[in-house]
Amino acid sequence: MSAIHVNHLRKVFKVQKNREGLKGAFQDLFKRQYNQVAAVDDISFQIPRGEICGYIGENGAGKSTTIKMLTGILVPSSGQIEVNGMIPYKDREKFVRGIGVVFGQRSQLWWDIGVIESFQLLKKVYRVPENDFKMRLDEIVERLQLSEILNRPVRKLSLGQRMRCELAASLLHNPSILFLDEPTIGLDIVVKTEIREFLKEMNQKYETTILLTTHDLQDIEALCSRVIMLDQGHIIYDGGLQNLKDKWGKGKEVHFQFQKTYPLSTLHDLTKGLNVKWFKENELAAKVWIPQNEVNVSDVLSRIVGFTDISDIKIFETNTDEIVREIYKSGSAEKAKEVVASNV
Amino acid sequence: MLPMFSAYIDMIRIRFLMMLAYRVNYYSGIIIYAINIGAYYFLWKAIYGANETLGEFTVLQMTTYVAVSWMARAFYFNNLDREIANEIKDGSVAVQLTKPYPYLIFKMMQGLGEGLFRLLLFSVPGMVIVTLIFQIELPTQFDVWLIFMVMIFFSFLINSQINLLTGMFAFFVENNEGLMRFKRIAVDLFSGLIIPISFFPGWAKGVLEWLPFQAITYLPASVFTRRVVGDAIYNAFIVQVIWFLFLSIPIYVIWKMARRRLVVQGG
Amino acid sequence: MYYTSIFTDYFKTYLKTRMTYRADFLIEVVTDLLFQLTNLFFILVVFLHTNSLGGWSIYEMLFIYGYFMIPYGVFTCFLNLWSFNERYIVKGEMDRILTRPAHNLVQLVLENMDPASLFGSLTGFIIMGYAWFHLDVSFAWYDPFVLQLMVMGSVLIYGGVYILITSLSFFSDSPTGITPMIWNIQNYGRYPVDIYNKVIKFTLTWLLPFAFVGVYPASFFLDKDISQGFALLTPVVGIVFFSIGIIVWNIGVNRYKGAGS
Repeated sequence: MSAIHVNHLRKVFKVQKNREGLKGAFQDLFKRQYNQVAAVDDISFQIPRGEICGYIGENGAGKSTTIKMLTGILVPSSGQIEVNGMIPYKDREKFVRGIGVVFGQRSQLWWDIGVIESFQLLKKVYRVPENDFKMRLDEIVERLQLSEILNRPVRKLSLGQRMRCELAASLLHNPSILFLDEPTIGLDIVVKTEIREFLKEMNQKYETTILLTTHDLQDIEALCSRVIMLDQGHIIYDGGLQNLKDKWGKGKEVHFQFQKTYPLSTLHDLTKGLNVKWFKENELAAKVWIPQNEVNVSDVLSRIVGFTDISDIKIFETNTDEIVREIYKSGSAEKAKEVVASNV
Repeated sequence: MLPMFSAYIDMIRIRFLMMLAYRVNYYSGIIIYAINIGAYYFLWKAIYGANETLGEFTVLQMTTYVAVSWMARAFYFNNLDREIANEIKDGSVAVQLTKPYPYLIFKMMQGLGEGLFRLLLFSVPGMVIVTLIFQIELPTQFDVWLIFMVMIFFSFLINSQINLLTGMFAFFVENNEGLMRFKRIAVDLFSGLIIPISFFPGWAKGVLEWLPFQAITYLPASVFTRRVVGDAIYNAFIVQVIWFLFLSIPIYVIWKMARRRLVVQGG
Repeated sequence: MYYTSIFTDYFKTYLKTRMTYRADFLIEVVTDLLFQLTNLFFILVVFLHTNSLGGWSIYEMLFIYGYFMIPYGVFTCFLNLWSFNERYIVKGEMDRILTRPAHNLVQLVLENMDPASLFGSLTGFIIMGYAWFHLDVSFAWYDPFVLQLMVMGSVLIYGGVYILITSLSFFSDSPTGITPMIWNIQNYGRYPVDIYNKVIKFTLTWLLPFAFVGVYPASFFLDKDISQGFALLTPVVGIVFFSIGIIVWNIGVNRYKGAGS
């Protein structure tokens, strides 16, 4: 059974147009003009229970709008959503007891009082039984090392500490689905890693389904088995991370460190017949570009290794950052689809 | 000097445009002032009852006073104290200091843009409507209008100066909310907006004459209602000018102190 | 039961927050009171020059004034929604409210509780008592009960009107300035409505019924004949306006969620 089921989902907003200049401002005073904008335009996907799914896209691609619909904050313009077997915007109060939400840029904790007080209050609000709460709190506190900061007011916490507390707050009622909107934004690498590990562990132990939006692709690489990529309200990619790399990664780069100087022409001759490109780095170093799906890295290596004196070899894969940048550079969703199609 | 001046004009213009962007705010603003004038108009009528004069005011002078002092308030009123305090609290004042213009004058210009907006779009149409509905008496001499215009400009300056001072207090205390609230009450009450100062008991009158608040509403409105005539008009105006100059001193001193603090402690 | 239990917890949270900023808390309470007392000052100064305002004596005016403060304090205690637009719509905290399992309006009420404003009610009660002491009016055994009923009605009127006004934030995201407008109007409910012209009297009685938070209910105890009938209408008007407020609020929330448009 899938935890999240989305079918032909659409959300249209009315956006006010501002006319320019003093005259325009006067006109706006009496009559306004509006544009219809589809923030989310006909998307469908399913997320099975226990999966961690990354939801990525540029600013304004429609990520937050989707999350808001999935958490019951917004009602779709059309299409169906089912989360946890329920329709989020119907019977909202019952529905939200089964989910946890963290908006990275907003706090759900009370600013001026100790963290633990906020937790106590949330316990009441979510009607968590005392024993469950104790167990759960102990586990999270230990796991996220919160015991030192539990009695400090939120305003005295660092961003990293605060975010750990936000996560804890969203998990106190043991939700089966966790929505994270930019959970690692602005955090340093140590805290990011900590949070990623914690999420992974929660996911494995409790089968918590996690949907997270992020701009940090390291989050995706560390956590997600699956990525949904959004552009201008459309899904432009939905699938495994490895698959994404295979499809979009253009190739690999191999750096060689030689013991003697080899002219480029020698290297060219060695790989004759293979569609690769050589670049000279310095007297003793060169690199070769090997396009995906055309040439095997092993073929190239076997031709070079026996015939030259090599001190070091490094293989570089195109990283996800570059892939994603490449996908967005290719422009609109349609174009992107074409590129995907031609790659297959 | 000249390019700076055009920058100021632009600040006024931008604030003017910002005000225009919120149309509901504009409509409700007109209604607020209309209601206040209307309600106080009837309230004072009831207070006068059969009396011809109270507190040195005739009925006609009183109703005119109410109308004109609320219209003047539309021009001089602003929230500069709150804006400055917020910018100090969230640290953006430090960013402002890196810009090539004097921060306080910049703020005053913003306030002026806001005031001009309300003067042209609230006060002028409002005054026309009020004259049609209620019994009030507008001055007929051109020079009275002229000196009144100059005087409400000084009302704006003095009120803004008081706002700057209250706002800048946020440099020295963690929370100046209380002070800002006190100031607001003091301005409405002691400037003569709610009750003309001549209605106050003798001892209170004595105290208020030594405070800057009367220069904001009571003096210009007294000139407008022709309670102050002849040379007394110039006396009233000179009181405003003196307060304007006098208030510049603590503003200058506090601003220097605050800047030093900002430079030393980094905000 | 559920709501009583979270009410207690929110109240504790409130106390803890306030205790962190004790000095601010005190300043706020004092300035709030002073704000309200400027109108008292107005009455006192005016009565230096006359002894009747449209046929009402100073003690009668003070009595109305005192009554007016009681429901206002109770209302601000529970429905302090002044900063709703900025905090919940512009800064987006409404989203958080909607992801929690309790009724949204209840959560708002609980998050913004301000029991300190009950000091205003207390002050009003004292002023009213003082005026009563100086007035020669009868005291019936049922007066305290009627007072409670009247105060409840007045609080509901405030609640209805302000919930309605606050709901407007769901329809327009720009600041509307309507709240201060209403606040201005309500202050005229504490003067005898007969002094105004027909339009204002009608507005204060039926459209924005602020005469029912001041002069009408208060006149019941003063044995003034202008509005005995109106006085008894207070609870009814309260229920009607509160219901309207809640209905519009729910429409607004639906619109916020994008269900209505």
